[in-house]
Amino acid sequence: MFTDETLDLIGAESTWRKSHQQTQESRSCQTLPVHTAEAETQAKAVLDNSTQTQDQISQTLSLDQNICHFPGLLDFLHRAEDVVTKELVKNSKSHAFDGFEVNWEDQNESVSCMHRLQHVDAQERGLQVTSVSWNCTGSVIGCGFGRVDDGDWSNEKAYVCMWNLDRQKLNPKRPDVIIGVVTPVMCLCFHPLKPSVVAGGLYSGEVLVWDTSRSQDLILSQTGMSADTHREPVYRVSWVPGARRGEFTLLSAGSGGRVLLWTVDGAEAKLILSSGYALVQQQVPQSGAASKTPGITNIEVTSVALSPWDLDTFLVAVPPDGESVTLRAPVQFSFSTRGGPVHSVHFSPFHRNLFVNVGTDSLAHLHTVLQPRPLLSLRVSDSYTFGVRWSPTRPLVFAAATGQGLVQMFDLGRRSLRPVATIDQNTSGQPTYCLEFNPKHTNLMAVGNADGSVSIWQLSAELTEQGAKETAMLEQLANEVAD
Amino acid sequence: MAEVEETIKRIQSQKGVQGIIIVNAEGIPIKSTLDNSSTVQYAGNVHQLLMKARGVVRDIDPQNDLTFLRVRSKKNEIMIAPDKDYFLIVIQNPTE
Repeated sequence: MFTDETLDLIGAESTWRKSHQQTQESRSCQTLPVHTAEAETQAKAVLDNSTQTQDQISQTLSLDQNICHFPGLLDFLHRAEDVVTKELVKNSKSHAFDGFEVNWEDQNESVSCMHRLQHVDAQERGLQVTSVSWNCTGSVIGCGFGRVDDGDWSNEKAYVCMWNLDRQKLNPKRPDVIIGVVTPVMCLCFHPLKPSVVAGGLYSGEVLVWDTSRSQDLILSQTGMSADTHREPVYRVSWVPGARRGEFTLLSAGSGGRVLLWTVDGAEAKLILSSGYALVQQQVPQSGAASKTPGITNIEVTSVALSPWDLDTFLVAVPPDGESVTLRAPVQFSFSTRGGPVHSVHFSPFHRNLFVNVGTDSLAHLHTVLQPRPLLSLRVSDSYTFGVRWSPTRPLVFAAATGQGLVQMFDLGRRSLRPVATIDQNTSGQPTYCLEFNPKHTNLMAVGNADGSVSIWQLSAELTEQGAKETAMLEQLANEVAD
Repeated sequence: MAEVEETIKRIQSQKGVQGIIIVNAEGIPIKSTLDNSSTVQYAGNVHQLLMKARGVVRDIDPQNDLTFLRVRSKKNEIMIAPDKDYFLIVIQNPTE
């Protein structure tokens, strides 16, 4: 009737365990074995040493001490005097070294153009190089672009460009630093102690100081425009030693007849006017000619030269009657050039009374501050002459930049008054506006041209090495003051 | 005292003499006709040169010794008379 029945097992497999296993992945990594090593050292002998500077002042000079503190001095002098006197007399009569010359360095026989620096943008727009300046270390040349032939008010954007000539990868077509400026730049001057600080004067009358060591806004300080500043183009900026050692104030001279002194306030980024001189026709002592226009007329200033000898004196060149004027404050003396506006004036670094100036009369005049008439006039070119500089190493040599694109170098030691070297700037007749000698590498000269290029020339040894009697000859020349 | 001054004046009256400096054995100048900075420069440099020159002479022949040193340059000539306790420097421009 009833039977036992067994049924198959029915089961459902578990799926969650498999799914868990399926999604699992395992990775492993292991660092490479780290090598270690151990070593020990020990110093066998130890030595201690220390140094200290000593205050030198008391040690170096005992010139004030009484002679009786030095025993044996008299005996020594008795012995030495005879020997020395004999040698001195023999030496003064000797011809043994006549014409004897020694060459310590390779003599550079010729003048060569080392670089021709250009800024493509400026050249495309036809901008001219109005001023060049070397920095105090002599490795960076800076130039200001602008226009000299434009008579009208100009709002054309211009540049200040710098090249570092000591860099290996110097690209003559691309400046290392390009600073954009709103109006044309008329003059440029690097700071005498800080290699990255440069001051420039603009066509609008503003004076700016840039610091190229800054990464962002390069303007260190500026004058802005106000009733006290220049309203006319600034033709020359120059750093003048200030009251304390190492401090410099900025001097700017512009067309409005004003010569202003500024102190740099880095915190406020402003140039603060500390003093100024205004050149007024009435104040100028005339040397013979009667004053032409009544009333007060401000005199245009085209060039300023600071005397390296006397910190209070500077020369200012003014156009109307072609007179240059020295100022202490106010005007003390005036010189006549009889020829027209003066473009450039420069004090001799070797003689405190001499300066040379050039202008539109195609002559270079050598003046001494002691008399109004020039000592010597040399014919420089057939047209205007825009710049003149004395050589920093040879007292008798100076170079002039002409309107025909030539730089003429004159040696006053030669009997002939013709130039001793003529350096063609290859500007196809366009004028050369400015030139500067490198203060550190004295055989280099930078020349700025109207075609927007700056040429760096390496001068020959003849033009840069000082001869034995040059300072004496210069002194003689300076003393030829007419009675 | 006055004799020292007179001796210096006599040497200075020779043709072309630009300056005279008397230096003691340590290289410190005791009397000079030049300005302070030039004096210090000359004294220090010449002292070193003198010691070197003397060393050269005695190195080559130990029985020999330096009696006089003349340095001629483009612009002038420096004459040095050495001694045990002092030395005398005279700067002359012979072409003047």
